[in-house]
Amino acid sequence: MKQLSLMQKLVCMGLLIIPFGLNGLETKLSGEFWGRWLSEIAKRKDSNGNYEDKLVNNYFSLERGYLGLETKFIDQVKGRFTVDVFTTDKTYEYQTYSLEDSTLISSSKSGSIDGVGLKIKYAYVDFGGLIPIKDLSLTAGMQKVYFGSIYDWNYTLVSKAPSDEHKVVNSADLGITVNGYLPSGYGEYAFGIYNGEGYKKVGTNLKDNTDFAYLGNLRITPITGLTVGGSYMYNTVGRDKDLNGEVTNPSYEKQQLMDIYTCLAYGPVNLISECIIKKVDYPNLSDSNNTKEYTARGISIFPILNLKDFVKYDLQLVGGYDIWDESDRIETDKARNKVIASTIGVNYNFMPDETYTPVMQLQLNYIDKNYDEDKSHSDYANGRRDSSQIILQLKWKFANIL
Amino acid sequence: MKSIIKSVAPMLMMLLAFSLNAETKNQITCTGSTTVLPIAQATAEVFMNNHAEINISVRGGGSGVGIASLQNKTTDICNSSRPLKSKEISTAKAKGINPIPYAIANDAITIVVHNSNLLNNLSIKQIKDIYTGNIINWKELGGANVPIVVISRDVASGTYEVFNDKVLAGAKVIGSAQLLASNNAVISAVSNTPGAIGYVGLGYLNDNAKLLSVNKVTPSELTVKNNSYPLSRKLYMYTNGKAKGIVANYIGFIQSDRGQKIVVEQGFINIK
Repeated sequence: MKQLSLMQKLVCMGLLIIPFGLNGLETKLSGEFWGRWLSEIAKRKDSNGNYEDKLVNNYFSLERGYLGLETKFIDQVKGRFTVDVFTTDKTYEYQTYSLEDSTLISSSKSGSIDGVGLKIKYAYVDFGGLIPIKDLSLTAGMQKVYFGSIYDWNYTLVSKAPSDEHKVVNSADLGITVNGYLPSGYGEYAFGIYNGEGYKKVGTNLKDNTDFAYLGNLRITPITGLTVGGSYMYNTVGRDKDLNGEVTNPSYEKQQLMDIYTCLAYGPVNLISECIIKKVDYPNLSDSNNTKEYTARGISIFPILNLKDFVKYDLQLVGGYDIWDESDRIETDKARNKVIASTIGVNYNFMPDETYTPVMQLQLNYIDKNYDEDKSHSDYANGRRDSSQIILQLKWKFANIL
Repeated sequence: MKSIIKSVAPMLMMLLAFSLNAETKNQITCTGSTTVLPIAQATAEVFMNNHAEINISVRGGGSGVGIASLQNKTTDICNSSRPLKSKEISTAKAKGINPIPYAIANDAITIVVHNSNLLNNLSIKQIKDIYTGNIINWKELGGANVPIVVISRDVASGTYEVFNDKVLAGAKVIGSAQLLASNNAVISAVSNTPGAIGYVGLGYLNDNAKLLSVNKVTPSELTVKNNSYPLSRKLYMYTNGKAKGIVANYIGFIQSDRGQKIVVEQGFINIK
C-alpha cells in the first residue's frame, strides 16, 4: 500500500477518533479481513486463433478489510458504521453527465495509484421500539439488502452469494426498511425502499432516474433446521423520459427480481439452495427484434459438511453447483450468456474466542466456470472465458466492546 | 455431477455411523451465565462424584456467551439467567438448533449498596434515576452527602438484560458507570466502594454489602415465588432439543430434590 487519498485518510482518522468521542456509550469495534492467494487458468486465444488454457492470474491480495463500529445509544437504538478497505490497482471510470438531459459529457479512465480501495459498506441507525410491534426495527441509512441469501451470506464458500455473484442485487444500499422477527423463532421478515443502485454508486454515477426500488422478504422456519424464504424486488434502471423534451429512453428498464431460498441444517449437514428469476422489460423498445424483454434464471446448491464432531480438527467440506442462464437475453452487441460454476473446497476453522467459536478460517476452494457459448463469437460471454481457479484464503476477525 | 454424488454418498454413510457413536460420549460442557455458574459448579461436582465416568466442564462468560455457544454447537448446555429472545431463537432454529429451556432455580436481582449506606429501600423509579444519572448523590434520597458510584454489568450478561428490561425500560446507563463482567466483581466493587450501588443474583449476596428492598419488598422465597418482588426471575439451562442421555440425567439431577437442595445451599430459591 502506498499513499492514502485525503478521503481515505479522513475515514481512517474517523474510525480512530469516534470511539473516544463516544465516551460512556456502549460501542463495539470489530474487524474482518480476508487475505487471499488466487491462481486462475482461463481460455485465451493462441496465435492461430484457437483457444487454449493459460495462466491469467496468480497473485496475493487483501480481498476484504471490514472495519466496523457499532454503538448503542439506548437499548433499542443502535448505529453501525462499516468500511471496506482492500487492495486493488484496478482502473476506475469517471463519467460526467449533463444535469439537464442526462447525456454523457465526458468519460475518463484512471488507474488507482494507491494500491488500495475503500468503500463505505454500512452506515445506518436501527430504531427498535419506534413501531409498537414486538421485535420490529426501523432501519435508516446504508444497510443490508434483504434479498435471498445475500444479507446473511457468511462466505463458508469463497464465492459470493448467487444474487451478488450474478449482479441481481447489491449486498448493501441506501434506504429505509422495517425488519423483524416472527414470534417463537418462526422466522423473519423485511420490507424496504432503496435507491436501487447499491452502495458503490453515488453522485454522478447514481442511476439516472428518480425511482426507488421496493423490496419484500419473508423467511419461515416451520421446523428446526428447515428454513424457506422468498424475496421480491421491483427496480428500474435509467430514466423513462429525459428531462429536456420528454424523449423516451430506449434503455429504460423495469426489473422484477425474485428469489426462493431454502436451507436445511441437520446434524453435520447444511444444504443451502436458491432459485433466482430476473425479469427485465424494456417498455420503450418496439418488439420487432424480440428485444423488449428477457428473463434470466439461476439455480444454486451449496452442501456443507461439518466434520468437527468426527475428526480431531474443526474441518468443513464445502461444495457448490451454480447455474446462471441469461441466454434468453438477445442484444445486438452482446453474446448470450450461460454459466455453470462448480466449487469444491475445505475449510479449517481455528483460534476459538470466548464462545469457543473460531475466529480464523483457512479456506481452500477450487472453482470451475464453464460458459455455454458459441466461442467463435468475438465477445462471447461478454468477454469472460471458461476458467479454473484455486483460491487459498485466510479470514480472521475480532470484536471488542470499547 | 454423478461422480460427486458417488463420492459424497459413502462419506455421508460414514458420518452417520460416527454420529451414532457420538451419542455415547461421557463429556458435558456447560457454558454461560455467571449467575447460574455456582449452581452448575456445585451440582456438577456432586453429580460427577456419583458418576465417576462422566466429566462436566463448566464455563462462565455470561448468558450471551452461552447462547452464542449453543447456536455454534460448542456447548451441550447453555446457562442463561434470562429467556432467549425471538432473534436468538430464530437464528438457532435456522442453524438446526432447537433451544429447549429447563428452569433450574428461582432468583432475584438484588440491589446492593456499600455497608455504610443509610438507606434501606429504593423504588424502581429511584433505581432507574440513579442508573440513568438523574440522581447522582445519596443525599437526594435522604442519605449521606456522598456521590453515587454506579456499578452495572456488561452487555453479555443476562442479569443486565433483565435489569435493563425491568428497571431501565430501555433507557441508557449513565456513561460513568463501571461495567463489570461478573456478579463476583460487582459485589466486590460495591463492598469496597463507599457510595457504590450494584445489582447481583441472590446467590452472590454476602455480609460485605448491604441489601436494599425494592418498592418496600425484600427478596425472599415467598416474595420471589409469588412475584411480588419486582425483580424476580427464573434461571435456565438450555439444550439443543429435548435433553438426552447424560445431559438429561444431569439436568434431571438439578431439578430433583437433591439438586434443588444444592440450589438453596448456593443462596438461590428452589423451583418446587
